[in-house]
Amino acid sequence: MSEESAEKISGKSTVGLVIFGPILGMLYVCLLPIIALMTLLVALPELASAKKTDILQSSGMCMGCHSSQEFTKTFRNKEKMSVFVNEKDFKGSVHRFLNCTDCHGKISLDTHPGNSAMYEDRAAFTVAMASACRKCHSDSQLKAKPNHAFLTNKTNGPPCMECHGAHGVKRIAEWKPALSSNNQYCLTCHSQNISKKHKNGETLSLHIDPSGLSASVHNKHDCSDCHSEYTRASHPVKQFQSSRTHSIAVSEACKKCHADKYQAVHESIHFKMISEGNLKAPVCTDCHGFHSVGPKETYETLSGVPCRKCHEDIFKIYSKSVHGMAKAKGTHNAPLCYSCHFAHEVKVTAMTEKIKGACLGCHKDAEEAHAKWLPNAALHLSAIACAACHSPGSGKGIYLRLYDQETGKPFTEEQMLKLMGGTYEGMARKMDPHGDGIESDELWSLVSRLNEKGSNAKVTFFGRMDVSNGSEAHQLSFKKNAVKECENCHSQESDFFKSVTVAVVKADGRMTRYKAKPEVLGSMFSLLSLRQFYVLGSTRLKVLDWIGILMVFGGMSVPIAHITLRAITSPIREAKRLNHMRKEGKR
Amino acid sequence: MKKIYLHPLPVRIWHWVNAISFIVLIVTGLQIRYREILGLMKFREAVDIHNIFGFILIFNFFIWLVFYIVTGKIKIYIPPLNLKKFVMGSLKQARYYGYGILMGEPNPHHSSPDNKFNPMQQMAYLAIMLLLIPLQLLSGLLLWDAKRFSDFINLAGGIKIVDTVHVFLFLFFMSFLFVHIYLATLGHTATAHIKAMFTGYEELEEEHGH
Repeated sequence: MSEESAEKISGKSTVGLVIFGPILGMLYVCLLPIIALMTLLVALPELASAKKTDILQSSGMCMGCHSSQEFTKTFRNKEKMSVFVNEKDFKGSVHRFLNCTDCHGKISLDTHPGNSAMYEDRAAFTVAMASACRKCHSDSQLKAKPNHAFLTNKTNGPPCMECHGAHGVKRIAEWKPALSSNNQYCLTCHSQNISKKHKNGETLSLHIDPSGLSASVHNKHDCSDCHSEYTRASHPVKQFQSSRTHSIAVSEACKKCHADKYQAVHESIHFKMISEGNLKAPVCTDCHGFHSVGPKETYETLSGVPCRKCHEDIFKIYSKSVHGMAKAKGTHNAPLCYSCHFAHEVKVTAMTEKIKGACLGCHKDAEEAHAKWLPNAALHLSAIACAACHSPGSGKGIYLRLYDQETGKPFTEEQMLKLMGGTYEGMARKMDPHGDGIESDELWSLVSRLNEKGSNAKVTFFGRMDVSNGSEAHQLSFKKNAVKECENCHSQESDFFKSVTVAVVKADGRMTRYKAKPEVLGSMFSLLSLRQFYVLGSTRLKVLDWIGILMVFGGMSVPIAHITLRAITSPIREAKRLNHMRKEGKR
Repeated sequence: MKKIYLHPLPVRIWHWVNAISFIVLIVTGLQIRYREILGLMKFREAVDIHNIFGFILIFNFFIWLVFYIVTGKIKIYIPPLNLKKFVMGSLKQARYYGYGILMGEPNPHHSSPDNKFNPMQQMAYLAIMLLLIPLQLLSGLLLWDAKRFSDFINLAGGIKIVDTVHVFLFLFFMSFLFVHIYLATLGHTATAHIKAMFTGYEELEEEHGH
């Protein structure tokens, strides 16, 4: 039965198979792409989420601890570091498909977390971790970008994480907006806390404060406008001796736009000092800063004036002066350093007419105002520095300067050397052979030597009264405190004539001072050497005083002698007169 | 007593203005120069007064010059062109002051309006009036405003040179003043010449028997 039924069944099923098999096959083949498509449509997101789930699952073990902020790691030097991994950051990072162990390959659950610290400190750990990046990112890939190339060539370049972060590594696409401008390209690294060492061991911070840069007057500029050798394609490595030589070198960049100021600086005493090897003198960046160059007004305030960095002593004196006090009170047009000394063409101001021009620039009525009470006001103003009278309590002295009368210009040390030969050092010996202050005859022989030796100049000394030192010129006070009594100067006993200095100027305006004996002013030699300098009462010739005494006594002695002779001879005349009368009587 | 009109009014005025100016200029000059010794007045006052009287003296000099040139009397200052006559006259006069006057001899020179000065006076006053006074006035003027006259001062060799000339002449005039005043007392009476300078009339001593 079972065979029969089996026969029946097989007979039936054979028929069904023969009939339905091909139909089903056809159907399957036709539906296959649709099924495949549907399967894919359904399975792909599943796959994706399955993968994700996988990572989370495989990282789950790690994140069990590392999602908590309470855990820290201690390095050998006892430095602590949080081991918290921000899951959200990681999920947003370009590395979100990686397993923790892909980078942290050395971690084994057998030993992690262990008690023994593997790394000396955080820095060593960071460097070691950076080698994980190299597993995927090859050298050639890195060196394609100049900034990376620059860093990878450095022995102690910063580890990758310094710029890119650790777990939150962004996609290139996300860097893009930040890299849109050249400046931001540079700032990717230079906003970091990076630095380099100069040859002398000084550290130069390469960090640039982006907010400072954007607040500066140069915020519309590209970095490469100043740092012209640096582009996206080139980042030369420069080495400077010291931070001073670095500042001096980078200040050259300012010239490109500020050629006029640069030229003015070139003629300044500051530049002169630098060119002579005195690197302490300021360059552009010392006053204006590097990247945070402010507007002009920044430097025109009591607090912002850069001069005080070096000239603090003088600044203190100035602060107490009539000008400093006015400035502090907020008087806008009260002068500050630059008003008299000029910001860029800073000159040696000692006893130059330029500084007087600066005074008269504001005190326009000064000449008239002096003329109202001071006889020969113009003469006084030309021979006396403003500060000599207007700086109460300042020491004063007479400065004798050589002038060429033909041109009216100072006769410089260079011209002297040309005529007299020798060196600057030897000059002191020539001027003051005994080293005890220049004497009258020495002064005269100097003038005659300068005039005889084939110089086309007519060299003579001009005398001038000024304060004893430059600082004192800054303690200018109120008008009522100024020297007004003639007697202060017009007396041989005036202290101002007790200090006599022969000032020899260099072509750049700097001075060499030689002490001279006060007697030179009243010596007979001064008739020859100081014939252009005379102050009523104060520089009178000693010898003329004696001649005067002799002449007056001579004049008085004539009548005295004659009266005496007449007294002696009066008996003769009396006898003659009587004799005469007798004769008359006889007749 | 015989009188001659020796000093016309303009000359007398000129003389006394000159005299006062000289005194004032000498005093203020000393004050300016010797501030630490003399304390008669402030420096400023001394300078101002000195300047004022300096200009008075300049003005006065021109009164003298114009008067003597216009009237032609300038010739009384000119020594005789005959050198021998001049030398002899001078020697005679010098002998008188050094010897004759002591012996009671009469003055060899007799002043008249046309022949006022003896040869020694002629020589001295010619130098004083036409050289020393103008030099003093000029140097004073340059020093009065050294800035304005700086070109002239440079020409003269410098302000110290100009000042030295001015002071030297000032000392000369100061000492000359003693001699001048003394000689003025050597008339026939001590005040004869001085009175004449006020009144214009010089009294002549009666020369007995001549």
